[in-house]
Amino acid sequence: MLLIRCPYCQEERPEIEFSYAGEAHIARPLNPDDLSDESWAEYLFIRSNRRGLHYERWLHAHGCAQFFNALRDTVSDKFETTYKIGEARPQVKK
Amino acid sequence: MTINRKETHGRINRDKPIKFSFDGKIYSAFDGDSLASALLANGIHLVARSFKYHRPRGFLSAGSEEPNALVTFDRGQGRVTSNVRATTLEIFDGLVAYSQNNWPSLKFDIGAINDFFYMLFPAGFYNKTFMWPKSFWDKVYEPAIRKMAGLGPAPIDEDADKYASLYSHCETLIVGSGPAGIAAALSACEKPGRVILIDEQNEFGGSLLSTPNLTINAIPAWQWLKNSLAILKGRQNVTLLARTTVIGYYHDNFLGAVERITDHEKDINQNKARECLHRIRAGEVILATGAIERPLVFPNNDRPGVMLASAARSYLNRYGVVVGEKIALFTCHDSGYEVIFDLADAGISIACIMDVRDQVSDNIIAATKTRGLEIRTSTIVTNTSGKFRISSLHASRINDEKITSTEEIICDCLLMCGGWTPSVHLFSHSKGSLKWQENLGAYIPDTPNENTISIGACNGTFGLTDIMTEADSGQSKYTVDDMDFGSGIIAATFPTKSDPAKIKAFVDYQNDVTEKDINLAVREGLKSIEHVKRYTTTGMATDQGKTSNLNALQITAHAVAKPVQQVGLTTFRPPFTPTTFGALLGGKDGDTFHVTRKTPIDGWADDNGAIFEPVALWRRARYFPREGEDMLAAVNRECRATRESLGIFDASTLGKIEVVGPDAAEFMNRMYTNPWMMLKSGSCRYGLMLGEDGYIMDDGVIGRMAEDRFHVTTTTGGAPRVFRMMEDYRQTEWPELDVWLTSTTEQWAVIALNGPNARKLLEPFVEGIDLNPESFPHMAVREGRICGVETRLFRVSFSGELGFEINVPAHYGRALWEVLFKAGQQYDITPYGTETMHVLRAEKGFIIVGQDTDGTVSPMDAGMSWAIGKKKKDFVGKRSLNRSDIVAKGRKQLVGLLTDDPNIVLEEGAQIVADPNQPIPMDMIGHVTSSYWSATLNRSIALAMIKDGRALTDSDIYIPMADQTHKVRVSTPIFYDPMGERLNVL
Amino acid sequence: MSYKLKSDQGVILADLLAGQVTLMADQLRYSLRIKSQDRTAFTKACGIDLPNKIGQTIIQNDRMVFCVGPDEYILIDNPNLRETLKQKFEQLADKFVFSTTDISHRNIGFKLSGKQAARMINIGCPLDLSLETFPVGKCTRSVFESAEILIFRNKEDEFQLETWRSFAPYMARYFEKFCLENESL
Ligand SMILES: [Zn+2]
Repeated sequence: MLLIRCPYCQEERPEIEFSYAGEAHIARPLNPDDLSDESWAEYLFIRSNRRGLHYERWLHAHGCAQFFNALRDTVSDKFETTYKIGEARPQVKK
Repeated sequence: MTINRKETHGRINRDKPIKFSFDGKIYSAFDGDSLASALLANGIHLVARSFKYHRPRGFLSAGSEEPNALVTFDRGQGRVTSNVRATTLEIFDGLVAYSQNNWPSLKFDIGAINDFFYMLFPAGFYNKTFMWPKSFWDKVYEPAIRKMAGLGPAPIDEDADKYASLYSHCETLIVGSGPAGIAAALSACEKPGRVILIDEQNEFGGSLLSTPNLTINAIPAWQWLKNSLAILKGRQNVTLLARTTVIGYYHDNFLGAVERITDHEKDINQNKARECLHRIRAGEVILATGAIERPLVFPNNDRPGVMLASAARSYLNRYGVVVGEKIALFTCHDSGYEVIFDLADAGISIACIMDVRDQVSDNIIAATKTRGLEIRTSTIVTNTSGKFRISSLHASRINDEKITSTEEIICDCLLMCGGWTPSVHLFSHSKGSLKWQENLGAYIPDTPNENTISIGACNGTFGLTDIMTEADSGQSKYTVDDMDFGSGIIAATFPTKSDPAKIKAFVDYQNDVTEKDINLAVREGLKSIEHVKRYTTTGMATDQGKTSNLNALQITAHAVAKPVQQVGLTTFRPPFTPTTFGALLGGKDGDTFHVTRKTPIDGWADDNGAIFEPVALWRRARYFPREGEDMLAAVNRECRATRESLGIFDASTLGKIEVVGPDAAEFMNRMYTNPWMMLKSGSCRYGLMLGEDGYIMDDGVIGRMAEDRFHVTTTTGGAPRVFRMMEDYRQTEWPELDVWLTSTTEQWAVIALNGPNARKLLEPFVEGIDLNPESFPHMAVREGRICGVETRLFRVSFSGELGFEINVPAHYGRALWEVLFKAGQQYDITPYGTETMHVLRAEKGFIIVGQDTDGTVSPMDAGMSWAIGKKKKDFVGKRSLNRSDIVAKGRKQLVGLLTDDPNIVLEEGAQIVADPNQPIPMDMIGHVTSSYWSATLNRSIALAMIKDGRALTDSDIYIPMADQTHKVRVSTPIFYDPMGERLNVL
Repeated sequence: MSYKLKSDQGVILADLLAGQVTLMADQLRYSLRIKSQDRTAFTKACGIDLPNKIGQTIIQNDRMVFCVGPDEYILIDNPNLRETLKQKFEQLADKFVFSTTDISHRNIGFKLSGKQAARMINIGCPLDLSLETFPVGKCTRSVFESAEILIFRNKEDEFQLETWRSFAPYMARYFEKFCLENESL
């Protein structure tokens, strides 16, 4: 069971309190009606499914109940960093 | 009886003699014995039959690595554990154990005939033999194999024991309490953090328990151990867990450990947990898990009496047990001599010492000579004899890989020392990488993946001096008197003069895998150790190859003529040793196995004979049978009573969400398909929620309590999902909206009254709400009081009858129900359950999300375009409703079905075809989603999803079933009161 | 007609829990939501002190206010104050953007006391409850096996645990098992 640092609680908490919420930084289009079927499908279904460092969303479901973003390595499962919704995404260190 | 005891040796308590039973015979032992040491003390070496060939087997080891000596441990009904290692089973007065995998007895085992038909059981036997014919597999092969092969029997009774669990935290966790672990604990306890020291054995000390002759800081090993433990016990910050096995090492220093609490106790205490699952989060993990001695692979190396050298040392020094009267040693490593010297010094006769190497160090030669012994160098064992125990061996001299001469030597015990394998299991669980250490012929830890260090033998550090220094972070405050650990060579394969096809040199004792099997696997083209493992099953038994993996690897490497590192390494997986299901569950049994959520009214339903069904985590009353009624009879009665007079239903499980804030209406407008901005306070509306993909996700009636407050209801199962989705949009897409959500599912108990007499019953109890239909019309909500407590009263109907849903604070739910039920007797009030609720709603054509929809149904498919706010600019899922696939023809649509024969109730899920005479495979055009007997209509009804189904209204379709094909007329999904007039009853 | 409906909390505690686990009497509970920037002014206007950090608790007389999220507070108070608080919130409705929802009956409160209290929580809750990481006065939501809980440490060896009503019997069973086991040690 991983330890995850919640950027709102500012504490490391056990994974069991959290739930995964998909890839991060995919904003809902402001005017969906203006989108072609293709670009709407892109928004709905297409994800990067990255091997390695991945921007993703987590929910501190049984804690502060906040969604937040994380940079996590999908190979090692380790969290690189976590940050609040609305904050700029951290750069991936090479 | 205790002829095999050495009075001068051992830590057993000779003041506490005890009796135990093995295979029905009573034996004596002492407190402190393991079952293995106790049996050996009684001269018993034959304890098991092997897995495949049913060969006689004895004790290979004295520890948890034991592959052979598996027994069934019987503590009475519901307390029988099979496949327990006799070497780790602590003995107590009255212990009962049996041998396994033999019939009719250990000495006369019919299955042993497999040993003579070994040609039938080569590697890959299962894969090759049982391919054809297919029908033979479950009828012939599997039952036969199950009977002949295998381990102990699975228990048949329910587990009578209790189990417990505990989360713990510490700054330093030390696994293993040998000299390294103890030294590390002594250092760690000086620091402020919490320390947990764990050992799998009943006593702390690890290898020190078998080496009393060493001294540490000039103190004899056992005294030093005692002193050290006294220090540790005296520390507030130290927790000592004996009889505890760390079974797995997971992310971020999270480890699972199982503590065996009662298995060694004579008396059974019903309330005490047998085992406790510890879930430990550690800051730093120190692995001091030691090393396991390797057997040597030579023909018939599996006879009882052939064992690891270190085991003989443990039996002598720890248990005071002599494993033979004429003991031989076969070694390729210096450490074997330490054992032989201990045995010789105890006055035990040594049959011979055989060393594979052509040269042995002068120190060892001198020490051997002093004891009047001699070493046969360049000598190997090429065979052993003896039916149930070794009686002699063949010692063969080799020169340049060739046997030059062979001599038979009489012995009753043969010790093997093939070098040492560091126990890197836990380090590997934690995803630390390993590196090959050529001089050890083994893998040792390389780069850790967690905050962990390995110390002592598990790190490839041998010799007490080096171990103690490493354990003390490189300081050398310990001075030890210890024989040099020395060195050895790797000797995995030996020359033979026999026909290689006929010899059995065991690599994996528990799965009966021989050197020949591995060579065969390689010849058949399997070059990776992962493939060899699966093909031969080496390392796949319950011991996970603790004693066999390295030998298998070396033999494979030899066979493919590659360095070991290029052959690969099999993966270590939890659990480290076999673990009971009880421990893994950690006390989650009975009513803690799973949460069963019960409504405030559940107790009343239980008292009144309800039959329940699970719905999500809830249990809900399904129907209330009267004496002699089956479900159909009860549901028919409940339906009729509700339509004719009055039914009462517990709707408390409906999900409820309070949506509050100045932007509440705007938020609702974006989340639901319907328009909300103009809905007046005090009004309700049916709300339909889509996923962003345009498919129906949830629905429910929503009341506007105030300008800035909505009382949202969801389906029972959908409540958490809907709440989460709403929160997601609220927090991440529309943070600019001033709105908040609170789950109120459990704040309110909900009692639904349905039927023409609902208002009449309700009226006298309600204060502050005018129930008159003009002021309280259908789809209105009011706040007031009922029987003196606050209520949110909804006038809604899921049955088509005049209906009210009374929300009261949950703790009053049952009391209010009882009041209404009593007063309702004048109207023959009838409690009904979910089944009747389903029938009533189906008669009205109301869908149930998740039953009539399956996540691929759009509002248009469900015939619910009316629920979409056409003028709305946007809502979740709106854009998808224009996707070409969703507006295309040929989608399944919700329709009603009426069977040609009104008495036939269709099966839910049944497939629908247009032409019953079409040859198979037929085109399936849809399926039945809901199907009931309608007492109201005195016929069956059904709902279905059918391709372009609405266009098929009034035409016939067919439902082929196993016994007959049903002809069915497509209809509107509304079967009863299509104009909704019954809602208007006064 | 006048009625007095009997209140139940849906959970009965076994006798053997006496002294170690008690069920709290009926409480007034609100979920209070207000943005952090309005917190100080809101406190000034209504006299209800709100903690300014997640995990903090403020206790005034019978009142406990837990900060469980960046804008989320659980307020527990004497049930006799229901009308007083309701009026207070109504008066503030025009001045502040905030939300209150009555959750009095949604939650059940347990009080766990004694030397074993932390250990009893740790049979199902993965948090480190040592005084260093979970000091007196700290509150948080977490999990206890399949149940969501709110934990508050009011004394060194006393915790208050809240859970949703239908999860309370499940938790009570865990406590019973624990106490049975420890009685026998
Ligand atoms: Zn948080």
